[in-house]
Amino acid sequence: MLPTELLMYRYRAETVVPKRLALNFAHVGLARELIEVFSGGVGLRRAELDERVAAHEGSAAGYRVVRGLAHLLASDFSTFEMRSPVPPTELRARVFGLASRLAGRASRAAVLTRVAAQLGEEGLALRPEEVESNLYADLQENFVLSEFTPPTPEELLHRWNLAQVQGVLYRAYALRVHAHRNDPARYKQLLKYMKLFGLMVVVDGDADHGFTLTLDGPASLFRPSTRYGLAMAKFLPALLHVTKWSLEAELRPRRDLEGAPESATFTLDSDCGLVSHYKVDAEFDSIVEEAFAARWAKLRTDWKLEREVDLVPVTGGVIVPDFRLVHPDGRSTLLEIVGYWRPEYLRKKFRGVRTSGRTDLILAVSDRLNLDAAGVKLTDLPEGVRVVTYKGRLEPRAVLAVLEGEEGGAAEAAAS
Amino acid sequence: MTRVSSARSQPTLRYERGTLLLHPAPAGQGWAEHAQWDDRVGRFRVPAHRYRALLEAVRRDGAELRDEARDFQELKLSPSRFVTPYPHQTEAIDAWKRAGRRGLVVLPTGAGKTLVAQLALDATPRSCLVVVPTLDLMHQWYAGFLATYPDAPLGLLGGGSKDDTPLLVATYDSAAIHAERLGNRYGLVVFDEVHHLGGDFNRVIAEYSIAPYRLGLTATPPQGARLRDLQGLVGPLVYRRTPEELAGTALASYREVRITVQLSAAERARYDAAIATRNAFLRRSGINLGNLEGWRTFVMRSGTPEGRAAMLAHREARSLAFGTEGKLRVLEELLAQHPEERVLVFTDDNATVYRVSREFLLPALTHQTPVKERVALLDAFRKGDYRVLVTSRVLNEGVDVPEASVAIVLSGTGVEREHTQRLGRILRRAEGKQAVLYEVVAEDTTEEGVARRRRGQEPASPVPYLDEITPDPIDWEDL
Repeated sequence: MLPTELLMYRYRAETVVPKRLALNFAHVGLARELIEVFSGGVGLRRAELDERVAAHEGSAAGYRVVRGLAHLLASDFSTFEMRSPVPPTELRARVFGLASRLAGRASRAAVLTRVAAQLGEEGLALRPEEVESNLYADLQENFVLSEFTPPTPEELLHRWNLAQVQGVLYRAYALRVHAHRNDPARYKQLLKYMKLFGLMVVVDGDADHGFTLTLDGPASLFRPSTRYGLAMAKFLPALLHVTKWSLEAELRPRRDLEGAPESATFTLDSDCGLVSHYKVDAEFDSIVEEAFAARWAKLRTDWKLEREVDLVPVTGGVIVPDFRLVHPDGRSTLLEIVGYWRPEYLRKKFRGVRTSGRTDLILAVSDRLNLDAAGVKLTDLPEGVRVVTYKGRLEPRAVLAVLEGEEGGAAEAAAS
Repeated sequence: MTRVSSARSQPTLRYERGTLLLHPAPAGQGWAEHAQWDDRVGRFRVPAHRYRALLEAVRRDGAELRDEARDFQELKLSPSRFVTPYPHQTEAIDAWKRAGRRGLVVLPTGAGKTLVAQLALDATPRSCLVVVPTLDLMHQWYAGFLATYPDAPLGLLGGGSKDDTPLLVATYDSAAIHAERLGNRYGLVVFDEVHHLGGDFNRVIAEYSIAPYRLGLTATPPQGARLRDLQGLVGPLVYRRTPEELAGTALASYREVRITVQLSAAERARYDAAIATRNAFLRRSGINLGNLEGWRTFVMRSGTPEGRAAMLAHREARSLAFGTEGKLRVLEELLAQHPEERVLVFTDDNATVYRVSREFLLPALTHQTPVKERVALLDAFRKGDYRVLVTSRVLNEGVDVPEASVAIVLSGTGVEREHTQRLGRILRRAEGKQAVLYEVVAEDTTEEGVARRRRGQEPASPVPYLDEITPDPIDWEDL
C-alpha cells in the first residue's frame, strides 16, 4: 500500500477515479529500470538509493508514479538494515564527549583522528573519515539495502494499480459489496478476511437475487467513520479472489484538497482487472464438496444441488452453508457438511445454527467428530434442523432420504 | 428439544473495540439516553467516552450493572523529587479537581504544564495515558517521569516503542492507531497540546476511551465550535492564564538579538539563478506566490517536468537561505562568545540538525534519537558534561531544559514568529540568569520577505464557559 501523498486520483463529479497504469511498453520499461536500481543497489545506503531513484523522476509518467513504484519496491520487496562496525550511539558518545572538551570547529579533525586512534587501540581499524560517516549509521536514511527480491515489472505495475485503489478506500466510511452466484468457499474466505481486519458485516438478500454485504466497524453505529477505511483497503485484495461481485464505497474526501467534493463515491466490480497478491486460502479448498457434488450428479432425483447458497445471518456473523438443495416444486433446503474441525469451531457452528432461526437446514456430521468432547449435543439444535451422521464419506442417498422424510431410516442406512 | 436458557442474566457492561456493549439492559431509564440498539449484534451499544455518564445514570437509578468494561488499574505514584509548584499550577489543578477531574487548562508555553500534569497524576491514583503531539515531546515527558517516578511502571508508545504499561506516554498518532486497544486500560488520560485532539484521526483517542478522568493542556486553545468540541471530549475549560498575567513570575525574560548574515558570492549566484528559474516558470504560468491560492497552484503544477524543475529550484533557494554557510560561521562565533553557558541550537529541519552535528561534532536531539541516548544527552546537558545541544525546531512545544541560558535559532522565519517566541520561553526563569535568544537569518532572501509579515500578538481573552461547570450531584468516585 502507499502513503497518501503518493496516491493519484481525480474526481469526476462526485466519483473518484484512481489513476491506472496501462501495462504498456513505456510503463513496463520504467518499472524495469526501477527494479534494476534496486537490484543494483544492494549494499547501498537508503539515501543513495533514493538519489538513484530520483534520477528517474523526470520520466514522462511523472515523479509521483516513480516514487510510488519505488515505495512499493522498498516496502514490499526489500530488507534494510543498520550497518556499522561500532554501535553509533557509542561512537557518538566518544566523539561528542571528546569534542566538548576541545574548543571550536577547528579541532574537528583532531577529534576524529583521536577517536579513530582510540578505536584502533581497541582492535577496531577505522579511518577518521569512517568515524564521521558512521556517526549516524542508525538513521533510517543511512540504513543499507541488504536484500532485494525483485518482482517482474508487470507484478510491480499490478501492485501499484491495486495500491492506488486501496488508497481510495482509506477515506471510506461505508462499503457495500454485492455478490452473486459464487462458490461458498469464496464467501467463507471473504468472511474470514472481514473478521481478520476487524470489519463488521450485515448481509441482505438471498441466493436467487444475490447478496449485499454492508461493511463497517463497531463505532460506525454512532457516527460514520473513516476509521475502518484502512481495514477496507486491506480487505480489497481478498475480495478480488471472489468470482462475481461489485462494490460501492462512500468516501469522505480530505478537506484540505482543492477541488474535492464534500462527499464522494467509488465503485468497482469483478471485471476491474486488478490483480491480488493475497494467496487463495487452501483452508477453503472445496475438494470434499466437489466430490459430493459429483456423486450427487449421478443420483436420479428431482432435487437439484446448487452451489449458490443462502448466507445465513447470525448474531455477530454469517454462516455460509455448503449447498442448497432445490426441488422443482419450490421446496429448498440448505445443506452443511461438518467434517473435521476443532471443538471451538463445532461449538460456534452449533451456537450459530441455534441463533439463526433457520430450520430449513440439514447438518451432515461425521461420526469421527467427538461431539460430546466438544460439549455440543445434537438435541440442542432448533426443531426442524435435521441431522445426518455419516461414516467415511457422505453418501448422497442418505441426504436424499432425509429430504424425503425418512429421517431415522436414513441415518441408520448411512451408518450401516 | 431444549432451547437456549431464557433465564435473564445479570446486566453487564463490556468493552468492545472502542465501544461499550450493554446486555441485558439494566433497570431504570437513565442508561437509555447513552445507548443505541445495534442490530448487527443484537445488543445495546454505548460510545466508550460515555462510560462515566452511563454508570452515573445507572447509579442514580439505583440499578445493578456489572462492569466488565473497566480494565484500568490503581496506580499509586510516589514522586522522588518534589518541585514547589507556582501558584498558578496549584490553582489550575484545584480547578480541575473541582470540575470532577475533567477539563482543559490553558497556560502559556514555559509556564510548567508538565508539572500541572504531574500534580494531576499524584492526585489521581489510576493508570494513566499521556498523549503528546511529537516524538520529541514523548521522549521528553518520558525523561521527566523517569526522573520524578523512578519506580513507576513507565513505558512508551510510538517511534518504534510499543510498551504496555500502567503509565504510558504515547504520540497522538500511535495512540489513535491503537485507540481500540488502549480505550479501557487507563483511568486518567492527559492530552498535552490538546488542540491536536480535535481532528478526525486523533479524536478517537478520547472517543474510544472510557477514562473517567481527563486533563487537556494547551497554550493555544481553539475558539468557538472547535473549543466546544474539545470540551465535549475532555471536559470544561477550568483554568486559563495568559503570558501577560504570568510575566515576571514564572516565565523567563530574555534579550533578543537578531543577526543577519550575507550569502557568500558563490551562494548568492546560486541563489539568484534558482530564484530566476522559479520566477520564469511562475511568470509563464501566471502564478502569484503572494497568496495561498498561488502556492497551491504551484504545488499542483510541480507534477509536470517544467514545474518540477521550478519547484526544485525553489527548494534549493530555500535551503541556501536556510542552511547557508554564513549562518554556520555565525554559529561558531556565538558558541565562542558563550564559552561557559548552556546553549541550545535550533534549526529548521532535521537535515540541518545533523549537518550542524557533524560539522561541529555537537550532540543532536531529534525524534530519531534513541530513547536511552536522549535521556543520557539531556542528563549530560543538565550536568554540564555537554554544554551545547543541537535540535530541530519541532521541539518548540515545550522542551524542558531549565539550565539553558542561550538559544540560537538558525533559519527562523517570520511566518513562524510565534515559534521563535515560544523558543524564547524555554529559557526559563532562574535566579540571576540573563538569558539571550539569537535569531540568525539570511539577508535579502524570501525568508527576509516573510519575516516582515510578522503576526501580531493575540489579544488576551476572557475565560468563557467557566460558568458552565456545574458540580455533579453524584460523586463519581471518592479518590
